[in-house]
Amino acid sequence: MTVKKSFVASLGLFLSVVGGLIVMAGCSGGGSSSPSPLQPVTPTTNNSVTLSVNLGPTGDYDNGLFTSVEVCAPGSTTNCTTIPNILVDTGSQGLRLLSGALGSVSLPSVTDASGNDIQECIQFISRAYIWGPVAQADIHLAGETASKAAVQIISESPAYPVPTSCLSAGTNGAVDYNSVSALGANGILGVANIAQDCPASECGAASNGIPQYFVCPSGSCQIASVPSTGIVTNPVALFSQDNNGVLISLPTVPAGGAATASGSLIFGIGTESNNALGSAQIYAVDSYSNFTTTYNGTEFSDSFIDSGSNALYFLDSASLGNIECIDNQGNPTGFYCPASTLNFTVTNTGTNGTSGSVTFSIANAGTLISTGFAAFNDLGGDSGGTSLLTDYFDFGVPFFFGRNVFVGIGGTTVPTGVSAPYGYWAY
Amino acid sequence: MKTMLGVLLVLTLGAVPALAVLGQYESSVSLDQQYLRGQDRVTKPQGYTLHQITVPTGGVVSEYVTPQGKVFGVSWRAPLIPNLQQLLGAYVAEVQKAAEAQTRRRGAPLIVRENDFIFVSGGHMRSFHGFAYVPSLLPQNVPAEVVR
Repeated sequence: MTVKKSFVASLGLFLSVVGGLIVMAGCSGGGSSSPSPLQPVTPTTNNSVTLSVNLGPTGDYDNGLFTSVEVCAPGSTTNCTTIPNILVDTGSQGLRLLSGALGSVSLPSVTDASGNDIQECIQFISRAYIWGPVAQADIHLAGETASKAAVQIISESPAYPVPTSCLSAGTNGAVDYNSVSALGANGILGVANIAQDCPASECGAASNGIPQYFVCPSGSCQIASVPSTGIVTNPVALFSQDNNGVLISLPTVPAGGAATASGSLIFGIGTESNNALGSAQIYAVDSYSNFTTTYNGTEFSDSFIDSGSNALYFLDSASLGNIECIDNQGNPTGFYCPASTLNFTVTNTGTNGTSGSVTFSIANAGTLISTGFAAFNDLGGDSGGTSLLTDYFDFGVPFFFGRNVFVGIGGTTVPTGVSAPYGYWAY
Repeated sequence: MKTMLGVLLVLTLGAVPALAVLGQYESSVSLDQQYLRGQDRVTKPQGYTLHQITVPTGGVVSEYVTPQGKVFGVSWRAPLIPNLQQLLGAYVAEVQKAAEAQTRRRGAPLIVRENDFIFVSGGHMRSFHGFAYVPSLLPQNVPAEVVR
């Protein structure tokens, strides 16, 4: 038995911070509760952008968490565009934009020492990939700026074929996310605990053989030696202030969902009047950005919180009484469809030893999705195989509703002095 | 004599599957080791043989082999997903089919559950892990849970 009982409810913090910024946009989702309004907050810098939970540009992105980002050619105030429908992802690092979303804005390429344009290939667990060049941009989010940030341009018409060494599913099984229809967004803003999407110690030299950054002189691609400023990086880490992490604040949504929801992405932790940790508990993560979740006495040591996951993905249907949803072709959709709502209590433990419980519910995904709503705090799905315990709980977007969730970047000083060399969560 | 050796060599090479591992004979593990350019640590837990190949690009790919020499499972834990076509061979087609049925899951693990092929690919950027196994190849008294 490894469950630890100690926990501190984070509700107090939820009620005491940024309450005034939380707005329920869903009007047909039934009764919703809003946190009490509190003392007005006037940060010295505008450090907050609006978050929207909606179905996204493709109209089928359940629990899609989106914001808008302004990008400019470095140093320019006119060669700029504001791009909506950017997915906010606490599970990845840096800004990636579909080429078509840039419109007429042209951004300079990042090159290697020989002047070859750097290209990047990113794998997804769904066996898909995104592929395209790395460019330099000034990224503006509210009053914050990441100057000359390396961003990936997701090519809708790639200049070079994707290198097979990056394809997890091999040449026959791979699909690309290089379009709005496949990505379900105009881009991804990665604000994970790690700042860079590949450490300079790994992607800095081609000889390390990491198949992620490439150059394609005379059309054939090979692994690149990337200058450290060319590695795609969480823009928050590049801000001149409020650069130690973010706070994601989403309102509660009722059981059964809400049409949409809106909240705030606030930059910095403990740096302004609107981003104090307050009574939030700090859960330090390991070098893979994971912590331990304990359920029924079993430890799931690779658990994580991920706003890029649109449901709570955990356990498997067989261990929960065969509650898998089946589509009309008889195939499992990977979501849970219990006959009546199930309630769970798990315990999260950080590498710093902090432990606290999390409760959540899982409702029938078929019923939820059929509402046409976008925001669900009780959407769940399978993370593993038939008879196996999987190694993790994936706390997706449902986890964020009704919470203030801080994402601390590794290498920054934790306001409370807790040791978290690889970063931390606080909620 | 010389001719016979030549024939034997050709037969041996012919018996080694080109780029297939799961469900194939153990000889393909050494091919994987070459392909992944990793160090192979071999152990023999009760009822099966475990190859843990440390991959130079980071992480470990494990292959689980029956006493008869067939690979009944593979798993990985690494910052990058290994080439599944290499590890799964023909089974990779099943992965494709499942992916097409799970489109509403976003940022979610990819799961395949068929009568005789189980596959999970999960994790997040820089922390990928997953496994695959063939239930009918599990050695006697070896639970599927060893593949992870």
